[in-house]
Amino acid sequence: MNLPSVSNEKKTSEVAVSVRGLGLTYTTSIERRPTIKARAKSLGRGKKHTRVIQALNNVNLDVDYGHVLGVIGSNGAGKSSMMRVIAGIIPPTQGRIEVFGSVSTLLALGVGFNPSMSGRDNVLLGGLAAGMTRDQIEDRFDEIADFSELGDAIDAPMRTYSSGMYSRLAFSVAATVRPDILIVDEALSTGDAKFKEKSLNRIKELRSDDRALIIVSHAMGTLREICNDIAWLNKGVLVQRGEPNATIDAYQDFLQVKRSAASDEDV
Amino acid sequence: MNSSIQTPTQVYVPFRAGLPPLIGYWKSLWSRRTFIAEYSRSELRDKHFDSFFGQLWLILNPLLLSGVYFLLVVIIRGNSDSQRYVHLTATLFLFYLISNSLTGGVKAVTGGQRLILNTAFPRIMLPISAMVIALFKFFPTIVVFLIIRTLLGVPFVWQMLWAIPILLIAMILSLGLAITISCINVYFRDIASFLPYLTRTILYLSPVLYESSSLSNRVLRFEILNPLFPLLDSWSRVLVHGQAPQTSSMLIALAWAVVIFLIGSYIFLSREREFAVRL
Repeated sequence: MNLPSVSNEKKTSEVAVSVRGLGLTYTTSIERRPTIKARAKSLGRGKKHTRVIQALNNVNLDVDYGHVLGVIGSNGAGKSSMMRVIAGIIPPTQGRIEVFGSVSTLLALGVGFNPSMSGRDNVLLGGLAAGMTRDQIEDRFDEIADFSELGDAIDAPMRTYSSGMYSRLAFSVAATVRPDILIVDEALSTGDAKFKEKSLNRIKELRSDDRALIIVSHAMGTLREICNDIAWLNKGVLVQRGEPNATIDAYQDFLQVKRSAASDEDV
Repeated sequence: MNSSIQTPTQVYVPFRAGLPPLIGYWKSLWSRRTFIAEYSRSELRDKHFDSFFGQLWLILNPLLLSGVYFLLVVIIRGNSDSQRYVHLTATLFLFYLISNSLTGGVKAVTGGQRLILNTAFPRIMLPISAMVIALFKFFPTIVVFLIIRTLLGVPFVWQMLWAIPILLIAMILSLGLAITISCINVYFRDIASFLPYLTRTILYLSPVLYESSSLSNRVLRFEILNPLFPLLDSWSRVLVHGQAPQTSSMLIALAWAVVIFLIGSYIFLSREREFAVRL
């Protein structure tokens, strides 16, 4: 494996996240914006207002400390839903999730919830909401600002940010907080080539024996390089779990995509 | 280290309908209290209420409003006096505390969409912040009111201290309303468009543009249905007339505030775990 072989007896190969029989169904409204008006209009027509979605079905998954788990699957496979359940954002419908350690709940779009506030305020508020103290955030703030390469823009309202700047800041926060369990959702394939390289290096640095990483990505080349474990989800079901090359090959065969250079690149 | 790793730090299991474990919820809420303070502060800073002119606007806005309403009262009634103006400002400013909580609260949850989708935290922090913001906007107006009161020569008496428990009840009521409406807005997004009509109706049903003493007994009997009525009535009695409030008014006001707060919190807490998939 790619992991540094410095053995740290503390946590290595102890379980970080245990997912048992996870099922997730949720009802969501059919309309984008549920309104009284829409409800009143369809009154008496017996129209349904909600749709039940089976996002995950009996998923069993263990993530050990010292491991880097890549999660792959087509759009709508339930990858993000699973990350949100592990992070405690959505409660499971069935099963039991045990988390042994602190989870970075700052997923791809975690910061920037209020676009009219500056990047600095958003980082502070996001951190406070995640349960950090103000001192903890301020200690790391310079590192976050440096890594994101935003410069003076950190004090500008986030609505003035480009999408690249947005995700650079989001990644910087997630990667600087140094949790026991880091979840990176689709954040690898953002930013320009230079930042991509930099964030990839940061992920590699973050691999250590006392940390577990879960990475959701469509960038198969990157996953082959940094993961030592791949879980493939399809329509809410765990299809295959195992060694990166074999699992990714199986997934790509399934997609009937030849292992061409194009599909291996970060898309 | 090892032993702490053996027991899970977090366990997520399916939830049954109803409330989450309240002690754990409270602990998690209490540990994040700086968020509420910081969120309110940056929201106010964002609206430039930390600058001189921003502060001035916070004062000028209710003053102009009270001027407009006073004009209305003078025209409709044909005559007026300074006491009426004191009554109008006192009750209008308290009314705006409650109405600002409602208008701030309605978007509290839906506006925090990004945060809710990506972070696990007690969602009730968002409507609480909305109420705290309304409270911050209220404080300068109370200073203005005391100045107006002094200028118009209304004497200060110790009965005015009753304003403190009345304000506390108003805060409970505002909080309850913010929590309730923020939750309703998740399921009915157009409630925000109805809100101006709702607040306007409540304003006219409450003793702001008139005093409760000018109402007939027949109308007064129905005012028990208006949560704001006993509150604003006691507020005026205490701050304008310098009399102790009626016990019955205080009890009705408290009962309304507590009931709205408890019902709103129950609905919110039993629904909030679903917000992430509803946004």
